[in-house]
This record gives sequence, structure tokens and C-alpha cells, in this order.
Amino acid sequence: MLLASPVALMVCRLQAADLNLLGTNMPPLDFHGFVSQGFLATTKYNYLGNDTKDGSFQFTEAGLNVSMNPLPRTRIEAQGFLYDVGESGKYQPFLDYASIEYTFNDYLGLRGGRIRRPQGIYNDIQDVDLARTYVLLPQGIYDARSRDFSVSLDGGEVFGNLPLSNAGALSYEAYAGYINVGTDSGVADRINNSLPVGKVTSFDPMLIAGSQLWWNTPVDGLRFGTAFGYGFNFDYNLNLPTGYPPPDPSSVSLHASSHITLQQYSAEYLWENWTFQAEYYNIQNNQHTTSPAGTTPSFVVNYAWYAAAAYRFNKWLEVGGYYTEYYADQPMTFGSDTSQKDAALSFRFDPKPWWVIKLEGHYIRGTALLDDNADNPVRNDNGWFMLMLKTTVSF
Amino acid sequence: MRLFWLKIGLMVSYLVAGTLSALALDGAMLIVNPGVVTDSLSAKELKDIYTAKTKYWDDGQAIIIVVIPDKTDAALEQASGMDGNQFKTFWERLAFSGRGSEPERAGDTAALVAFVASTKGAIALVPADAALAGVKQIKIK
Repeated sequence: MLLASPVALMVCRLQAADLNLLGTNMPPLDFHGFVSQGFLATTKYNYLGNDTKDGSFQFTEAGLNVSMNPLPRTRIEAQGFLYDVGESGKYQPFLDYASIEYTFNDYLGLRGGRIRRPQGIYNDIQDVDLARTYVLLPQGIYDARSRDFSVSLDGGEVFGNLPLSNAGALSYEAYAGYINVGTDSGVADRINNSLPVGKVTSFDPMLIAGSQLWWNTPVDGLRFGTAFGYGFNFDYNLNLPTGYPPPDPSSVSLHASSHITLQQYSAEYLWENWTFQAEYYNIQNNQHTTSPAGTTPSFVVNYAWYAAAAYRFNKWLEVGGYYTEYYADQPMTFGSDTSQKDAALSFRFDPKPWWVIKLEGHYIRGTALLDDNADNPVRNDNGWFMLMLKTTVSF
Repeated sequence: MRLFWLKIGLMVSYLVAGTLSALALDGAMLIVNPGVVTDSLSAKELKDIYTAKTKYWDDGQAIIIVVIPDKTDAALEQASGMDGNQFKTFWERLAFSGRGSEPERAGDTAALVAFVASTKGAIALVPADAALAGVKQIKIK
């Protein structure tokens, strides 16, 4: 069942609201929200879902946020979120972020609670369809199935903006906290699909620290960024059945422990009606897997990059495209490639300030990101196509 | 080679100088709620407000930006360095990542002036011929 059809989206649209509670002196609450519904169809393989070759509506996102300023220089904000992308999300609502921040001055502020993790141009808004040109961001960097691993953390950050006189300004965010991943998450699905048999039974909370720096140059609209992150302990337990035939309950438990290093470099230029963007992303996974037979080390490096350009013709039409490549050290699943290359062309229509419609086509070579085993039993590197349609209403 | 670096230097000087030139708000005035403690802003201070680098007035009151689509687009671009669509997208990114509040939207000039007059910390660009009541006009230094 679809969560929302375009008709339902139109009906349920509300006005952004400032709510003053019962005439009290309480500061007003500021509400905003959005609902997105997409459709995708692929040739040759199922991608971001198990039935996309037949066309799939399993591409839904919805968020509702509220904020207020209860005291001088103090802000409280929270957002509830739900999504359904293929086998991930499943419309389960969760607290996406809930934090309190205090801004000492333009140079220094503190934010604590559940916060969205800054990384590159899009990580902290990768599921906010209305805030970009494209339906699907480059998946080697912003994998829609892994948002529960990459987007939010429980902890805190410092942030600020440092003027550099005639050289522009440097904005920074530095964070630390824990990422809690569940066994029903997209990351768990990805690990499970990489195994011939067995599955993940539990994750430990992962401690992560990192930073995002942006140099906002003196040229209007031109900025360069660098992000770094380090996951101290991406640890999880696995259970692999060893008995045969299947009713045999014998199994073996494994423990995997990883140190993860993330790096991302970004450039963005808003020039007249053009938006130019380019990013490079690198993730290193230094893992030790412990079983009754001993400990096995592994070191895997995956990386991706993209270049994008978009042109806005008028208030209601923007056209953009990007080319992206993803490379993995080793195949994620048996039979898949170690690379995936994607050329995308997107049309964004804004019939109203609160309503966005997008149409997007992809030509893809490679299968490195097809981590759904049963849905794609045969793979090769022949080119394949994907068509996407998505609409979002917001208030 | 020397000519090449001279050209690069001239280009950088041109770009930097362009950002430092005096701000003109085409067809618009800048107004704030009367409770706002300042009477004037520099072009850089105004840009810092419209690009979320400055989120609070000096007394700690939260800055609430109010916009009126279509009627002050040129001035908004001069103030923020972004056109109307880029400005909207920029603030949506902040709002939905928990890093800021989207500017309020007013339906017409009278509603915008009334909103600024009644909302602490509010700031807005209004058409130059707008009838002002209950708000404070801000000079650009």
C-alpha cells in the first residue's frame, strides 16, 4: 500500500504554522514538513528495491519538524521521519533529530542531542527531496539504503563561522557521538546480502567523531569543503549456520570489529542560473573478524566521485545532470562488479513554491551497488536504465 | 608567464572588489521589528543574516527573516548573493537538517509589514513604495 499518492499529498498540504500556546508567553513553535512519493523502474536489474523491473512505488519519505527559541541565543529543534526505500525503512517512524543549541556568537555554538551528521554537500539532507535538483543522489556516496547509518548520531557538535577578511569565511562543524544501527536497517541488509548464509544478530553502538569545514570564498556562491570522520568501533555479531541439511541447528557465531575512516572533498559554485557541484568520497574499512578458528583481518577501500551541473530556466523549471563512478576493492556480493558508473539527467518542475515534481533518467554500467542477492541472481556489466518520477509537497 | 599571473591577479582583484562594493537594494527598503536594537547594518552584516551566519541580534533575540516572493527578488539577490530559488533551497537545507528556521513567507506587502511589526526579531525587505506602520527602517552603511 502506498503511503501517499500525489492526490493525497495535495489534499494533506498544510500551511507552515507558528503556534502560540493558549495565549501564554511561551515562544511560538515553528512547524515545517514534507512528504515525498517516488516511482522507479529499471531494466535488467532490481535496484533500490526487489521489484523495480516491474516498476515500484517503494520510494517514500516524510518528515515533520518543530523548532522554537525558548531563551536568548537558544534553539530547540526536533524532527520525526519515516521512509521506505526498497527493503529499508518500511514506514517505521522514528526520531530523526532532537537537539538543543546555544550560539555564543557567530564564531562559536554548541549543539547536543540527536543531530544530523554533516558530511559534504548532501549527507545531512540526503533524504530531503525538495532541497536539490535530483531524485537520486550519487549512490556511491549517498546510498539511500544506508541513511540510518550515515545521517544522524547521538552526541554533540561545535559549530561556527570564522571571517577571513577579504578571503571570505570558514564555517566549521566538529562532532562526536554514537550511531545506533538496528538489525532491520539497510546496513544490516547489505551485510546479510554479502554472506552466502547467515545474518547479523546485533550491532554495538558505534562511536564516531569527525568534522566538516567549508571555505566560503569571496566569490559569491563559490565554496570548497572537506569532511573527515572516524568510526572507532563498527562492531557487530553474526550467526552462520553450519549444519546440513537446513533443519540441523548447528551454527557458529562470529564477531566483526572495524575501524572506519571517511574522507570527502567538495566544491560547489552557484553562478547566475547555474549550479555546479563535484565531490570525491573515500571510505576505508579496517576489519578483524573473530571466529572459533581465529581472527581474520581485512582492509577494504571504496571510493566514489561525481560532477554535476544544473541550470534553472525559470521559477518552475530546472534541468540538471551528473556523472558518477563508484569503485570497490572487492565485490560486495558474489558475481557483482567492483564498479558502477551512472549518468543521470533530471528535470525538476516547481509548479508552486510548495510543490515539486521531478523526472529523471539514468544510464548505468556495472553492478557494484546491487547488493540485493536474491533479486539479481545473474549480473554482468552491460548497461541498464532506470527511470524515476517523484513528487514532494512541503509546508 | 608573468603576464599569466598578472591576469590571474587582476581577475581575483575584480572578484574580491565585486564583493566589497556598496550594497544597493533595488526597489526595496529594509525594515525590522521596532524592538530590534540596531539602526543600521553594513552590507556584510546583512549578507551574514541572509546566509545564516548570523542568527541572533546583539541582545540574543532570534532573527526571523520574512520574505515576500516575487516582489523583492532583485534586492534579495543583492542582500544574499543568491537568487530566489537558490535562497529558498539554501534555507530548506538548513531547516530540514535541524540547523535553522526557514524564512517566513508573506502573501502581500501589507501582511509582511504587519508580521514584522508584531514579531520580535523580524527583518524583511519590502517594496520601496510600501506603507510602513509599526516597523523600523534600517539604513545600509
